[in-house]
Amino acid sequence: MKSLIAFGSMFLVFVLAMPVNADGNGELKKYFSNTASEVKAADNAVEKREILNESFQNMSQTLDKVLSSGLISDNDRIGIEQFKTILQEKQNELEGSNGYDRVPDAQLNAFANYVVQDMEQADTTITISVVVLLLIIILIVLLV
Amino acid sequence: MRDPNRRLVKSALWPMIFVSFGCAALVIFLSSCSGGQTVQHESQKIEEDTIAVRYSIIFIIHGDNDYLYHDTSDNKFYANEETLAEVKRIAEENPHAEVFIFHQKPASHFLFFFPLRDGEFYYYRNGQLRANELYWRDQEQSNFNLELELYRRFRVKNEREMLSMFLYFGHEIPEFAKAGYDASYPDRTFAVQDLANGLKEFTTDSARFDLLVLSTCYGGTPFTVGMLGNYAQTIIASPDNLHLSYFDLKSLESLDISLKDGEVPAFANKFAQQIFDKLTKDIQTVVSIAVYDVDSVQEYLQSVYSTYEHSLNTLSRQISSAAIEHCDCADIPVYIMPAMNRGVNVFYRSARFGRSKNKQNHSGWECWKE
Repeated sequence: MKSLIAFGSMFLVFVLAMPVNADGNGELKKYFSNTASEVKAADNAVEKREILNESFQNMSQTLDKVLSSGLISDNDRIGIEQFKTILQEKQNELEGSNGYDRVPDAQLNAFANYVVQDMEQADTTITISVVVLLLIIILIVLLV
Repeated sequence: MRDPNRRLVKSALWPMIFVSFGCAALVIFLSSCSGGQTVQHESQKIEEDTIAVRYSIIFIIHGDNDYLYHDTSDNKFYANEETLAEVKRIAEENPHAEVFIFHQKPASHFLFFFPLRDGEFYYYRNGQLRANELYWRDQEQSNFNLELELYRRFRVKNEREMLSMFLYFGHEIPEFAKAGYDASYPDRTFAVQDLANGLKEFTTDSARFDLLVLSTCYGGTPFTVGMLGNYAQTIIASPDNLHLSYFDLKSLESLDISLKDGEVPAFANKFAQQIFDKLTKDIQTVVSIAVYDVDSVQEYLQSVYSTYEHSLNTLSRQISSAAIEHCDCADIPVYIMPAMNRGVNVFYRSARFGRSKNKQNHSGWECWKE
């Protein structure tokens, strides 16, 4: 027991020395990166399309829930709306609606990479607070 | 029957182990808070160099925000850590260079209360690490004072004979003061003007950097190039978005060969081509790299200055910048002028998907959609 306490204390000492990084944006990127992995592992185009579509829809529904919660600031609301628009555009392109050419079957893996890479730009355009990002992540985990 | 001495020793053992670990942790903590971990004593470093220094390179790597990205095999990387490793390798592979590396890290605390230093400095000369120190980053105004202090302490004092380069890696640098650039200091503002002020101090004798590289999104705007161009002769930047896998630095590996003739503009164009080739291999999003000959672009910059400034003033008054979008200046008629393409060499490939996938070229100048 004492050894456990000693080990636990040491563990805490080192853990507390590490940077506390509540990285909500990183979690969103991981969500779409996991989607991309699933798309690449899928056997056929129908399955790939379904995985992508489901991923967009789940995220969109989660964003709607956060928007309707009434707990967010105006800035977060603008950020989430913008993120939703970006997702909707991607979903439109996947389906070939709203003026987009449908993503060809042979390019679905590349499209999945595009979705991830589009979130990994060295810009600062999506401005959603860490707390709201974490809320989105928690909700998406509960929904999926 | 149990030996009472053995029991006594055993009962004292755990507290001793715990105290020992505690002491070890304290030593680690104290060393992390100490003035630095200078690899060699300064007097040893300042000794006369046997190999002449021909290149002076400063790297600033911002790491205090979200820099996570994935490769096409879905392996994750942190842009700042990857860049740091690459830059260290470059420093080791250039025997005629002095290299300053400033890694701006996220703030962290020991036991919740004791702040740890959030900047790390490396100084290489003649391919060898001469100094490695931890320092405090600016926590309020972004003035690069601490980086400048380290730069002045270590630099070789014959810069007139050297080719100088300054490379910045990070997220888009806002054109008007805006909080949120640093995750650890959410109220701290950082803008192009702050970087320009820093560059001014790094080039104290009024000489400009031979090459300035901005590995960020939206570095190629009339305002940014105009402002930073006061302190550089040639600039490489990405006018549009840039993926966090950043600019490939392979061209800097053997400067004695690639810069043998000392022709920086020609080198800059080869450097940009290399960056473009690397990015277009794996990246599905837009790739745009532009090389600006700062003297040659002055006419264009002056002709669009007031229009662009008006846009900036309007945008800076908006409550949230989230909805503001960038676009190619060539998409806005008022920016299209005869001098627009003068002094700019653009390497462009549109995103493979999205609304702009059929866009064939880019002017090299990025503006704001009002």
